[in-house]
Amino acid sequence: MEAALAQWVRARADSTPVPYRGMPADSGAVDWDDVRLTRQGEPEAYRRLIERHQDSVARILWRFSRDRGVHEELVQDVFVEAYLSLRGYNGKAPLDHWLARIATRVGYRYWKEKARRKRTEPFDLEEWDEAVGDGQATALEPDSAAELLHQILAQMAPRDRLVLTLRYLEQCDVVETARRTGWTKTMVKVQTLRARNRLRKLIEQSGAELIQ
Amino acid sequence: MNWEEKIERLAARAQAEQTPRVDVTQNVLHILLSGQAQPLTAAERLWMWLAAAASAVAVPAAACAFILYTRSAGPLNEIVEAISWAVH
Repeated sequence: MEAALAQWVRARADSTPVPYRGMPADSGAVDWDDVRLTRQGEPEAYRRLIERHQDSVARILWRFSRDRGVHEELVQDVFVEAYLSLRGYNGKAPLDHWLARIATRVGYRYWKEKARRKRTEPFDLEEWDEAVGDGQATALEPDSAAELLHQILAQMAPRDRLVLTLRYLEQCDVVETARRTGWTKTMVKVQTLRARNRLRKLIEQSGAELIQ
Repeated sequence: MNWEEKIERLAARAQAEQTPRVDVTQNVLHILLSGQAQPLTAAERLWMWLAAAASAVAVPAAACAFILYTRSAGPLNEIVEAISWAVH
């Protein structure tokens, strides 16, 4: 029975995917070929997949940790986790989207573990108010702006931080946030509203004169 | 400019940031090939599903058993008390 079950799983996993809307003729097919070869135990195929997608995964995870060592570990975790659940990938969506979902999950898990271990350092919000005064945000270097925003959002609980990071930094709408997090659209809307209110309160409590 | 506009401006600026390049290919392949991480086999998956199904059944069953016990505890005590002379 076990052999029959394994054969059935293999047969389903190796079947040709249903092309998704807007599936590029080359990259989607190339990814799918490599996914199939990886499932058949071909390490070179997985190497090619990692090489093709590690930049986009790294970009997402840079929102979750700006420590280079941690960042690299998180990217690594995503590809190990992706390999272990590769049989669950059915090719109906681009591999990039599937990896983005895993990356979001890995990043969120990291925040939750970090929040359990220790409290984040309090951040002086007045400092950011000075830095982002009228018209000054555009004068900031992108990495300084990203660092500042990272520090502000680090004051929030992981759940709030996740929706705000996806909204402000990843430019995700409700549908995309729901897809990435696995939450329902209603839950995303409610969570975003609460997170925005908490961020507003946090800024107001800091004494920074932000409402001008 | 309100607080959210400021955050949005900051985010727009932050998006132009270059992400540091990483190359995890060797590390990932090393972890996978050395067997430090292995996908679940079909049998393990089956056991996992069975365990999940058993838990899903066990929790309501335990709740029902508890409710039945609390409901029948009174009459049972009465019966025990009624025949307690037999024990003595």
